[in-house]
Amino acid sequence: MSLHKTHSIPSIRWLKLARDLMAEKGRILLMLTAITVSIIAIGAVLGSYAVLTREIAANYLGTNPASATLELEGDVDARIVKLARQHPQVREAEARDVILARAKVGEDWRSLLLFVIDDFAAMRISTFAPIQGAWPPATGEMLIERTATSMLEATVGGHVLVKTAHGTAREVTIAGLVHDPGLAPASQERTGYGYISRATLSTLGERPLLHELRITVRDPQASIQGVESVASNLARSLTDQGIAVHEIRVPPPRQHPHQRQLVTILFMMLAFSVMALVLSGILVSGSLAAMLVRQVREIGIMKTIGARTRQIFGMYALMVASIGIMAVVLAIPLGWLGTQILTKAIAGLLNFNLTDAAVPTWVFAVQAFAGGVVPLLVAAIPIARASRMSVRQALDHYGVSPDSLRWRTAKLPRPARNALRRPTRLALTVALLAAGGAMFMTALNVSAGWDRNIAKVYETRHYDVEVRFHEAQGSPVAERIRALPGVKSVEAWGYSPAAFAKPGQINVVRTYPDRGHASFSVMGPPADTRLIGFPVLAGRWLQPTDTEGVVLNHAAAAQVPQIRIGDRIDLSLDGKPASRRLVGIVEEIGSSAVAYVTDQAFARIVGTQVGAQGSARLLRIATHANSPQGRIDVIRTIEQRLSDDGVSVETAVPLAELRTAMADHIVILTRALLTMAVVMATVGTLGLASTMGVSVVERTREFAVMKTVGATPRRIIVLLIAEALFIGALSWIIALILAVPLTGLVDTLVGRLGFVAPLPFIMSPVAALGWLALLGGVSLVSTILPANRAARMSVARALVAL
Amino acid sequence: MIELEHVSKVYPGSNGNFKALDGITLRFPAGEFVAIVGKSGSGKSTLINLIAGIDRPSDGVIRVVGTPVGTLDESNLATWRGRHIGVVFQFFQLLPTLTIAENVMLPMDFCATLEPRAARLRAMALLEKVGIADQANKLPSSLSGGQQQRAAIARALANDPPLIVADEPTGNLDSHTAEAVLALLVGLSKAGKTVVMVTHERDLTQYADRIVTLADGKIASQTTAGQHTVSEVSHA
Repeated sequence: MSLHKTHSIPSIRWLKLARDLMAEKGRILLMLTAITVSIIAIGAVLGSYAVLTREIAANYLGTNPASATLELEGDVDARIVKLARQHPQVREAEARDVILARAKVGEDWRSLLLFVIDDFAAMRISTFAPIQGAWPPATGEMLIERTATSMLEATVGGHVLVKTAHGTAREVTIAGLVHDPGLAPASQERTGYGYISRATLSTLGERPLLHELRITVRDPQASIQGVESVASNLARSLTDQGIAVHEIRVPPPRQHPHQRQLVTILFMMLAFSVMALVLSGILVSGSLAAMLVRQVREIGIMKTIGARTRQIFGMYALMVASIGIMAVVLAIPLGWLGTQILTKAIAGLLNFNLTDAAVPTWVFAVQAFAGGVVPLLVAAIPIARASRMSVRQALDHYGVSPDSLRWRTAKLPRPARNALRRPTRLALTVALLAAGGAMFMTALNVSAGWDRNIAKVYETRHYDVEVRFHEAQGSPVAERIRALPGVKSVEAWGYSPAAFAKPGQINVVRTYPDRGHASFSVMGPPADTRLIGFPVLAGRWLQPTDTEGVVLNHAAAAQVPQIRIGDRIDLSLDGKPASRRLVGIVEEIGSSAVAYVTDQAFARIVGTQVGAQGSARLLRIATHANSPQGRIDVIRTIEQRLSDDGVSVETAVPLAELRTAMADHIVILTRALLTMAVVMATVGTLGLASTMGVSVVERTREFAVMKTVGATPRRIIVLLIAEALFIGALSWIIALILAVPLTGLVDTLVGRLGFVAPLPFIMSPVAALGWLALLGGVSLVSTILPANRAARMSVARALVAL
Repeated sequence: MIELEHVSKVYPGSNGNFKALDGITLRFPAGEFVAIVGKSGSGKSTLINLIAGIDRPSDGVIRVVGTPVGTLDESNLATWRGRHIGVVFQFFQLLPTLTIAENVMLPMDFCATLEPRAARLRAMALLEKVGIADQANKLPSSLSGGQQQRAAIARALANDPPLIVADEPTGNLDSHTAEAVLALLVGLSKAGKTVVMVTHERDLTQYADRIVTLADGKIASQTTAGQHTVSEVSHA
């Protein structure tokens, strides 16, 4: 075989290195893949973090979001705005209002949040930008948020039938689209967003009054307590001047409504990515040790002909560095691509425009460090060990030695004994597989826990639709609905927005201006309600005699973490104070904070009687329908009946909508978990493939000896497969054990993010058996190929193989 | 050239220590062709490994070209060996991924004796000398055993060392090829190189200047060419 003639002659040792790399293509590819995958993950996550952190400033903070909103009893006129602006700790003030209206989409009514703007040309707080059509909208026209077009099934130039609490349904022209980064996407909230002027509000049948005084505080870094203090001071100051302040709303400062989700997702992905890199490092170390097994005698020869330890170390260190550099070269553009995909997905979750998707240089630097240095650090030990080996040790090296077998292992089955001949490598491989498997299972377990929680939405709620009225009704409304065809049962509940009251102070709630995120309400169901059945976490559910008792759902309890069963709670229901004793805490998945009192107690608080006019602002209705379309038909009948009766409906939300909203909120998180599961599975199984390849190579001579004493190739292959399955099974058991606390931890993290409570702990059989099947498959494939080669090698060739 | 004084080598084993060499004292002048013979386990390979610095003595002193080999650390020993000793193995031990010429160039690279272009010229000259220049660009696996051993000899000569150490260089060759290889080694000796060769062959009188026979780690006899003198078993 004649090789090409060289014109420029490279250093021979580097030539040898290059040829060795080519000769070990398979193993190099394994290492390269593992490192590349983990560096891509790190790059994508860090890049997304860097871009999105920057975009939060450019988008959400760019709207100058309100630090606080003061809800006034009357109109916020120019004088009040001026007074607020004169407050020493207030930077800006502006009048606004938010009206919960409804828009007819096809045959159904959907929720529509109408933001009433005093002067489109002079907005200073919670600004939004026109992106298409007219600006400002003329009277009778409306701008809509760009994400609301799908919810309203209309766009610029179209018309939407809008109905407010006090008006009749009226057609409004959509004059333009705006982008409002301060709002979560409309489809996630299952509501439309419209922007109108005072004049248009008037045409919709409402009084042209703006009740919200939105302010920003001077201190740009003010904490939530600091903002509350400024807002309370301003509220007192206004009250002193005869201006009644009904409530103060303070959202988490400088934090987008979905920012916690963003941070948690990225943090979790980063943790998984770093773990993947560590596992890749272990894989590199193991694979390199395997390559060195083949190279040991060559190292001995090179030392015999003059190679110094340092030169040998340098050669193999360069080999690892080359793999790292190749991985970095591949991973940087792919990581960048991952960043673009991830940021786009998360930007969608946050309703952001990516103004600048450029990934900062430090992200690439971290990737380069991770790929260039980490593998080198972990490989330094096996390289140093091989380089320092004396010439005699190296020349006498014939693969794995039986001396490493301990007497204690003598009673173990043969595959186990073989695996234990290299205890350090076995430990590394098992650690790699167990960690990868534990994370793989955790990702799927958490995903299963999430699905289980979503299922609870249906299991704990036995109604099909919730109807809220603008004005509280009496029992006749419920009776009429109950008589409709398809309706199974109806319960009339009291309902009121609420706050945890501080005696003598104006109510402060930590709600976003969209009034959905972080809201709190009090509900008054019949004590013997059959339409809900929430699991009791502490104390008990309401009893008919509970005139003084209150039950909090877990989201409400989380807002008053110090409270215990039996403690008194001061509530404010739309300004009406009520002090009640806590009798229980229930788990209510998929709801904002709610305090439950009996319908009797609720009526007493709002000054009426059960069944009387003004006692029920909410109906929960179960239908006989057993198909989505059937339910929609019944809901349409109910809507029609209420419309005929002249009852003004605020919202009518099918239970299915709640489920859709929940799934949409967190879909990216479950996708991220599954992506990470794939990354961990890739790295883990590559590790097993590498180990088995090594195990075969270093025992080539041993197999030759076995064959000389009668072992068939088939027997040798079976022996190796059994060994791979032993390693896989051992790691699977450890992974299963590790997955228990890890699943608990991630369940808590993700559950608190999505539901304000840990997710139900589920060890998914699909995850456990799926990983086992994957291990089994990889064991077979990664063993059969090299084992087949080794088993069929001629005895003479095998005896001089190493 | 080579001085061994009271050299012993002991290997620890599971059934107690094994003494491979027992108080050997020898002197080989420059340019001598020495054959070390003996049965398996007599200690001949151990002796050659100690001379080449591949192994270290348990006791005694070995000086090669004036350097006490045992005092050098592994790294310095490697460089020293690369410059002063050419080693020829029974199984040739050519690196499989390098061509024959590249194998010959490798010692020059490690010891930085010549830059690559000059090293290539020297490698070709050496291959010419051992008669396989036409095989220079082939991989070892495509050469016959005899050709591989010639290549190994060329590699041993790469840094022009004064001492060639050969461990059973003909052990894996047919008799015709073995004779050619031995003739090559004799030529080197005549050119002024000291050649120390371990072999099972007993009839080496036509090649070797001196034959040292080992038995149980001791010198059983020494025969020098022309004199045919059998010395006493020597311990000191």
